[in-house]
Amino acid sequence: MENPKQKVGKVFLIFAGLCILALPLIVLTALSSEPEEMEASVADTQNMDFDDKGQAVFASYDQISRDYLEGTSTGRTLSEYYSRRQYPGSPPFIPHKVEEPDLAPIECLTCHARGGWTAELKKNTPITPHPEQEACRQCHITVTEAQLFVETDWMSVAPPRLGRTSLPGAPPPIPHELQMRGDCVACHVGPGTVAAIRVEHPSRGNCRQCHVPESNAPLFERKPKS
Amino acid sequence: MDFTRRDFIKSAALQSAVTTAAVLFPGISFGAWKNADSGAIEWKKTPCRFCGTGCGLLVGVSGDRAVAVKGDPNCTVNKGLCCVKGYHSVQILYGKDRVNKALVRKNGKLVETPLKEALDLVASKMQETIKSHGKDAVAMYGSGQWSITDGYVSSKLFKGCIGTNNLEANARLCMASAVTGFLTTFGLDEPMGCYDDLDHADVFITWGNNMAEMHPVLFSRMLANRKSKNNVTIIDLATRTTRTSQAADKSIIFNPQTDLAVANAICYEIIRNDWVNWDFVNKHVSFHKGKTNIGYGTQDHFKFKDKAETVDWETYKAFLADYTPEKVEKISGVPAKDIKYLAALFGDPDKKVVSYWCMGMNQHTRGTWINNLVYNCHLLVGKISQPGNGPFSLTGQPSACGTVREVGTLTHKLPHGVVMKEGARKMAAKIWDVPVENIDPKPTYHTVEMFRALDRGDIRFMWIQVTNPMVTMPNLNRYRNGAEKDGRFLVVSEIYPTPTYDVADVVLPSALWIEREGFFGNSERRTQHNDQIVPMPGDCMSNTWQIIEVARRMGFEKQFPWSEETYIEDIWNEYIQFHDTPKHRMAPYKELKANSGLQWPFVNGLETKWRYHAKYDPAAEGEDFDFYGKPDRRAWIWLRPYEPAAESPDSEYPLWLNTGRILEHWHTGSMTRRVPVLHRAAPEAYVEINPDDATRMGINSGNKVKVSSRRGSVIMKASINGRGRPPRGMVFVPFFDESYLINEVTLDAFCPISKQPDYKKCAVKLEKV
Repeated sequence: MENPKQKVGKVFLIFAGLCILALPLIVLTALSSEPEEMEASVADTQNMDFDDKGQAVFASYDQISRDYLEGTSTGRTLSEYYSRRQYPGSPPFIPHKVEEPDLAPIECLTCHARGGWTAELKKNTPITPHPEQEACRQCHITVTEAQLFVETDWMSVAPPRLGRTSLPGAPPPIPHELQMRGDCVACHVGPGTVAAIRVEHPSRGNCRQCHVPESNAPLFERKPKS
Repeated sequence: MDFTRRDFIKSAALQSAVTTAAVLFPGISFGAWKNADSGAIEWKKTPCRFCGTGCGLLVGVSGDRAVAVKGDPNCTVNKGLCCVKGYHSVQILYGKDRVNKALVRKNGKLVETPLKEALDLVASKMQETIKSHGKDAVAMYGSGQWSITDGYVSSKLFKGCIGTNNLEANARLCMASAVTGFLTTFGLDEPMGCYDDLDHADVFITWGNNMAEMHPVLFSRMLANRKSKNNVTIIDLATRTTRTSQAADKSIIFNPQTDLAVANAICYEIIRNDWVNWDFVNKHVSFHKGKTNIGYGTQDHFKFKDKAETVDWETYKAFLADYTPEKVEKISGVPAKDIKYLAALFGDPDKKVVSYWCMGMNQHTRGTWINNLVYNCHLLVGKISQPGNGPFSLTGQPSACGTVREVGTLTHKLPHGVVMKEGARKMAAKIWDVPVENIDPKPTYHTVEMFRALDRGDIRFMWIQVTNPMVTMPNLNRYRNGAEKDGRFLVVSEIYPTPTYDVADVVLPSALWIEREGFFGNSERRTQHNDQIVPMPGDCMSNTWQIIEVARRMGFEKQFPWSEETYIEDIWNEYIQFHDTPKHRMAPYKELKANSGLQWPFVNGLETKWRYHAKYDPAAEGEDFDFYGKPDRRAWIWLRPYEPAAESPDSEYPLWLNTGRILEHWHTGSMTRRVPVLHRAAPEAYVEINPDDATRMGINSGNKVKVSSRRGSVIMKASINGRGRPPRGMVFVPFFDESYLINEVTLDAFCPISKQPDYKKCAVKLEKV
């Protein structure tokens, strides 16, 4: 039997928890309603419009099992991850066989919405951070040929460096765009993730409490009132 | 050197990881790209270079290189999403064989030449040809990928200064039937609706349009609408099963060319069930009949002029008696119950209906007619010009609307109006500062006839910009032979070697897309500006500036006075004088520069989302609908019958040939094939065969087969049960691959009204080789 005080305490704890969870949402909502002229200019910093996935992060966090949260069996490496992309943030190609006709919403999302072990490929499936987009093969295509038609001079920027904290032991900022990739849990938690970016503390859940988007905006400078 | 056990294990592990990946994906190495300048990425806005959807992109720039892409969240077209071509679009800038020097053919070979010298040659050759063969012996052939300023200066040079109407663009092969459809039904070109309809409609009908692959961003927006509501229906009405059919709620397959009969049958059913919106029809619609048995234009010098005759409701009703669902089932193969189902969707007053189409209806020997007939379906029930209700003609090129249709780079057009009208000539002469007599009141050649004229020798000099006709002309053998004849001089402004480059006498190196400032105009009347974002390589020059340079060499300095720093803005300001009425006012330069595209009519600082309705359109008068394009201020319902295709399968050539695009490649692949991930996904063309036909002929997937028609043949690999599945009796070949020129097989028959060829229907046979 619980005594009434414990009950009150529990209710209070849940309430406090909800407040903590809601706080970043409120802050984010406030941030996303920037003045109009800010929105019109094409920012060279990160677009805060996409920093609105707080709820999705919590939802995916709530949905996954404890076993999955703690799954560490990932064999995927960062170089494998980037070998499927043309620049940091480009849609990766599909590295396995897919069937025609294209029944993407069913066939892709069966595995890539929730993750888990696939016996066929003997791998843990990576989870998509944007399962709401169902026309998967609009952006993700297969590879059927190794030779190029014409060689290319393509270059892109180096992938972001990991763990760039401002202070020793401080939480590193988010080094990538949030557009299409705002659900932290999808890519940073579980056995299907890239080992190097798998977080060591997945049970925390509220990622954005400590990790904020990194931008190359100049340092804050106060304009004196004239 | 010490090599410890630990080192050994480490290196072995790395080795095995690399080997595993190398086995899975031969030829793909780790760290797939070289690193450009380190440092921050700066994001700059531009419309996408490819299709007519007109997605807004943000291009990531590091140093002087474009290094990444993301969808522009401020652009209402795509709201931050792209397709695979858009995401990799910046890689088109960096193919190793980029043309960055001028080339002139000397002793049969293209030789690098100083750009100035090449431009001198172009100007003097053009003047020489005009002197020896007359002004109608020189021609310009551009495209819907022209920036608006490219098209504008070509029109000014050819129509205003030289005085010939020999100006055409590949958009003739792409959307001419859409234009004549709009003009005959509404009197003004371009759609009444916009992409917001994708979020509002309850029923989507795709008419012969594989949107899932051709306009993927719009299609995924349609899917998102279906997911967010529970009453959205997508119907794919097509001649072949595609990804669109697979994603649709219902796929209806009709026999090629019989869409004419199906559309009439839908109208028959709407009337039979009295689903007609009488209030709308009585107030806003009139009925008209045109000529029938109008031919197919396969002979040189083919001429046709339609004649409209006003008729009454009873005549229309009697005309439709031939199109009962049961009769049409026999022609079209569409079950009568499916026709009745389609009619019921149109007829349900609680459902908002949008129709989408593109090349299936436009590349059609009765292209104008089928456009008219789909408008009829919408007009009978009044489902038009409101959010979520309307017919919508999609375009295939980024500026087919912006440049070709709005600037009017077609033989009969001027930036405002047609050359036949004195008022239009006077207006152009005034803005262009040329004598009005310069502008010839008689149109010359439409695209197919222009290439026939080149073959015959009536045209001696042709300047081709931003298009690849030596891959895309139907009945290609004739037109390539014509282009290669002695006494023809071809100037090609290009970015990469192509089959058209191969027949050029002069190649001018062009700046591509974000290497220059410019404007595109997309399918929904949206004008989109881009700054120059990266430098031009080598001697490359914008197409606009190439034309200015040549015009000045020909003595037209007065008409082309602009400076290299501000010419794009100056030309924009001159051009928009042509459209300065509430029906077509364009946004000012400053606004376009600041926004991710703005829709015209742009009046009092506001875009127009739906035309012909007083609630949304500043040019519309009255309470509600106002079809002000026609003198009777009504939309015209046309009585257009079913007539067969120009060439149908017979005992000798028993199969239909259908051609088109695929998701990964855009048009002739001269850009997308240089994008590694796109080429690797779809490295070569193939012929899709129905599984039953393949079994009967003993053909397996991957076997080589010969596709031949009365005009030519191609040997290529068979694809059975691939991503598209033709019905029995049809094969499909994509046209992106210059190694398999399927247009040597196609027929140069066209719609007599629009003069747009039909790439979707001719008769072929198949042999295993």
